Amino acid sequence: MRGPLAPSLLRVFARLSLALALALGVSARADDVSPPEVLERVDAALPADAPPPLQDHVLLEFTVGTDGRATEILVIESAGAPWDRAATSALARWRFKPARHDGVDVPSRTRLSFTMPAALLAAIDAGPTPPLDAGDAPEAPDAGLTFAVDEGLDAGHPHHEMSTTVLGRGQPKSRGASDFAVEVGELQVVPRRTAADFLKLAPGILLTNEGGEGHPEQIFLRGFDAREGQDLELTVDGVPINELGNLHGNGFADLNFIIPELVENLRVLEGPFDPRQGNFAVAGSADYQLGLPERGVIVKGGYGSFSTARLVALWGPPGETSRTFGGVQLFRTSGFGQNRGAQNAKVAAQYEGQLSERTSFRVGALGYAGNYRSAGLLRADDVASGTADFYGTYDARQGGDSLRAQVHLDLHGHLTSVAWDTTIFFVFRSTRILENFTGFVNDVQLPQQNPHPQRGDLIDRDTSGFTVGARGSARWRTRALGRNQELEVGYFARFDVVDALQVRVETDTNVPYLRDYDLSSKLSDIGAYTDANFSPAWWLTLRGGLRAELLTYNVLDECAAKEVRRPSPSNPPGDESCLSQRDFGKYRDPSERNSTTGAVLMPRATLLVGPFKGVTFSGSVGTGVRSIDPQFITQNLDAPFASILAWEGGAAWGQRLGAHDVTARGVVFGTRVDKDLVFNPQEGRGTIAGSTSRVGALVAARARGGFYDVSGNATWVRSQFDDTGYLVPYVPDLVLRADGALFHALPWLRPLGTPLLGRLGVGVTWVGRRALPYGQRSDVIFVTDVNAEVGWRWLSLGLAVTNLFNAQYRLGEYNYTSDFRTSGSLPTLVPARHFSAGAPAAVMATLAVHLGGEP
Amino acid sequence: MKRLVLVVSSLLSGCVQTTGGNLVEFHAQASGDPAVVTGGALSFTSPAGFDVTLTRAQLFAGAVYLSGQNPQNYTLEAACIQPGVYGGEVRGAVRVDALSPTPQPFPVAGNGTDARTLGAELWLTGGDVEADVDRTVVLDVAGTATRGADSWPFEGAITISQNRVVPPRNPALPGSNPLCQQRIVAPIPFDATLVEAGTLSLLVDPRAWFASVDFSTLTKVSDAPLLYRFEDSSTSTAQADKALYNGLRSAVGPYRFTLTP
Repeated sequence: MRGPLAPSLLRVFARLSLALALALGVSARADDVSPPEVLERVDAALPADAPPPLQDHVLLEFTVGTDGRATEILVIESAGAPWDRAATSALARWRFKPARHDGVDVPSRTRLSFTMPAALLAAIDAGPTPPLDAGDAPEAPDAGLTFAVDEGLDAGHPHHEMSTTVLGRGQPKSRGASDFAVEVGELQVVPRRTAADFLKLAPGILLTNEGGEGHPEQIFLRGFDAREGQDLELTVDGVPINELGNLHGNGFADLNFIIPELVENLRVLEGPFDPRQGNFAVAGSADYQLGLPERGVIVKGGYGSFSTARLVALWGPPGETSRTFGGVQLFRTSGFGQNRGAQNAKVAAQYEGQLSERTSFRVGALGYAGNYRSAGLLRADDVASGTADFYGTYDARQGGDSLRAQVHLDLHGHLTSVAWDTTIFFVFRSTRILENFTGFVNDVQLPQQNPHPQRGDLIDRDTSGFTVGARGSARWRTRALGRNQELEVGYFARFDVVDALQVRVETDTNVPYLRDYDLSSKLSDIGAYTDANFSPAWWLTLRGGLRAELLTYNVLDECAAKEVRRPSPSNPPGDESCLSQRDFGKYRDPSERNSTTGAVLMPRATLLVGPFKGVTFSGSVGTGVRSIDPQFITQNLDAPFASILAWEGGAAWGQRLGAHDVTARGVVFGTRVDKDLVFNPQEGRGTIAGSTSRVGALVAARARGGFYDVSGNATWVRSQFDDTGYLVPYVPDLVLRADGALFHALPWLRPLGTPLLGRLGVGVTWVGRRALPYGQRSDVIFVTDVNAEVGWRWLSLGLAVTNLFNAQYRLGEYNYTSDFRTSGSLPTLVPARHFSAGAPAAVMATLAVHLGGEP
Repeated sequence: MKRLVLVVSSLLSGCVQTTGGNLVEFHAQASGDPAVVTGGALSFTSPAGFDVTLTRAQLFAGAVYLSGQNPQNYTLEAACIQPGVYGGEVRGAVRVDALSPTPQPFPVAGNGTDARTLGAELWLTGGDVEADVDRTVVLDVAGTATRGADSWPFEGAITISQNRVVPPRNPALPGSNPLCQQRIVAPIPFDATLVEAGTLSLLVDPRAWFASVDFSTLTKVSDAPLLYRFEDSSTSTAQADKALYNGLRSAVGPYRFTLTP
């Protein structure tokens, strides 16, 4: 007697049948894109009392990510809940070799149909199950019965066209061993407070911060003190982050508007070797690619040390790509020590869709507002004498606020042999920073002024600007010498209108007493490039091209006359900052306009040699530019930019060893810049310091497996002034960094039959003693951060400890002159050690709920 | 290619491992110039023709600053404190017996860099060089001057406060003669390079304070005993008062510095 349809030798056969339909900007040549391949199949257990399937198949649609996992599984056509769950659960444990596009792993969206075998279909056709006769016992399910996939079946279900869609855009071609396409992946579990922290996944990067929680990090890379971005071109999905005309430094970049959970990938190219790299790509460039791999709604709430609270809500609509998301973050903290409180809010939204079979688009908006207090720098002798606390401050007025609003539209399409894309962006930025590096030193008595004492060196800088721009390219592919050859032409343009004001504020009254700068600037940066990919043999590729850049300045200085050598007794200039007179009292307008233009041609080339499988040797050479600050231009001054020449040679190796992916690379590099920037505490920013050269080396490696992901790198560099041979101060000459993640289902614990998933992340930074002015060396930095998470179904709980060993360390160290009047009435007028304190140990507990997506 | 070679060769040549320069700490002391004084009263003939016997000569050295600025670039309009030019400082005061050749140490060590200094500044201040009022006696002298049969027993105590305010030369330059400038004796020529644990010595030749003093113009304050006194004010019309004050503030003559390792 047939009992209830129990899974006694039921088999569900699935055939993964993938045909290729390329979309989103790649040429429809089969040899350019390879579909995903199944590496591991996992049998699934069918529930013992499953009713008959409702139909003869379960159609699933899912994404095969670059990590080879199936995610965002949707049931397109259901055979009933138990069958759907069984098929979904099984598929989630499959492992794939990802799809590849132009030799790069890419995510792909595909469908799979689980087709029922004939016996099961007969049971369906037979109608309702007849009642049991008395005395008949239902057949018990075999213990451990599973689904299995047979080989060699007919392709797919006759009613479904299987297709695979390669998602996203073609990634830029590698420029050699210093081109790091960082997929965050499982290393997301390593504690990272800000989006800037992701930069540390690339070798040789040190981040310091003398300005506090909302102040952008100071970035050191490859022997460059890139300050807050002046020597590093930073973009988010191609939209520029570097600001033109910011008084804190031309190229100032604030990454705090990015919600860290939305950083899906990061490309760091160290060195100016890609014709797409533009202004500020001196040490290199970094492009953040935003996305949310998890689908559904994620809400995270965290609370920790120093009254730090963080709330994040993210939304990834199921069925859409990872580039479609919404997110909001609210954050506040009292900060450690004195005067380090901060609060901010960030929003981000983006939608990626198809206009047609050949054209896709992305439209998005980002917003950010933040306010923070800053402790600034302390004198080491004051801390040693007990006059100041290690985590104290001299001037509680320091801090700042920041606004950013951005809208962008991105179009991407492909024709038969041409792929093209265009991005249009609109950005509004406003930054105010108050800093006091020197105390009471810089208020020089001018003869024309009424006698006054030192009124205080607090600098109040406010810069706001509007940027509109676009970038685009067209890439043409053809066949020659039996291989694909490519040629790309592209453009970049940005137009900025910037207002910038810098004043000094009196200590006793908080009243501005001196105007240093009052600028209205109209700036433009227009670039065009050509980039070729020439491959005469399978083991040899030459990539490179030419970039032309035109920089224009039109700067109205509203405070051009600050001093008069021969003032008129009948018309003394007095204490005014911006004078309307010149020698002998003759009238002049306080303002003055200067304009200039500079153009530069920048060749860049990379040679890739790969005679052995998994190993690529590369050599690159390139030139770059960094535009100078508007306040430093003079009428018709030629070449208002710094020029860079860089070279490197390297080797990269990547291999799949069983279930483990291993990559490693080593690079030797050199760079020369004709107008370097060195931090000037009197100015509170970097100022031009002459030509410098660097030579160095780096090694990096990463290994990933089913339960771990570890990455490590080490960079050594020597930076020196060309005229004296002296070391460039502040840049670290040795940086070591390691990130590691472990993840696995926890044994023994299976509440309600679902295992607990544990994740552990560790990040370690070690920085050698940095060269400081006057022949000094800084302390070593050694910091360890740890994060542990436990997840169960839609819930996860995490505990992060930053600076695990509570090291009291100096994050930034400087030697310069200051007088904060902490030791008697006589001023201190000679250089002394100053530092910014690194954060002490801090704990953060986070609870996250993930609804509507993958478990 | 040429530039590449230049980059590589410039890096391979020279293994400089420093940013240049060094921070140093040094000892500081002051005394009468041993080439002039022997302890006790000092007798000399001034260029103005007076035979002077100095029985008391005390200088209040409030602080010393060493500058890398070329003394020839000093101007009357220069600010009292110019950031970025100082290479050494001794931030403490010592009351120097200028009649004694015995070194009298400053209460604090000096610190600075080993950058070359070209000039020194002697600050005659009780503390805040920009203070409106400072009653510190920066010079205390006593003695007797004679010329022929005439004799002028004298004493003098000089302060630099509101009594020394100098109106600006040009009303369009109200800040050109700040009071702090009256308290700073500069530039005292001093071409040296500080060294770690070296000793900086301020040597005072009190004779130079009186080089231009016409003692016959002193104000008599007592007949019995006979006593003349230097008036402590820039408004005094007596040549002696102005000459002593100018002598005190003369950068060339009364003061010299030495540096011993």
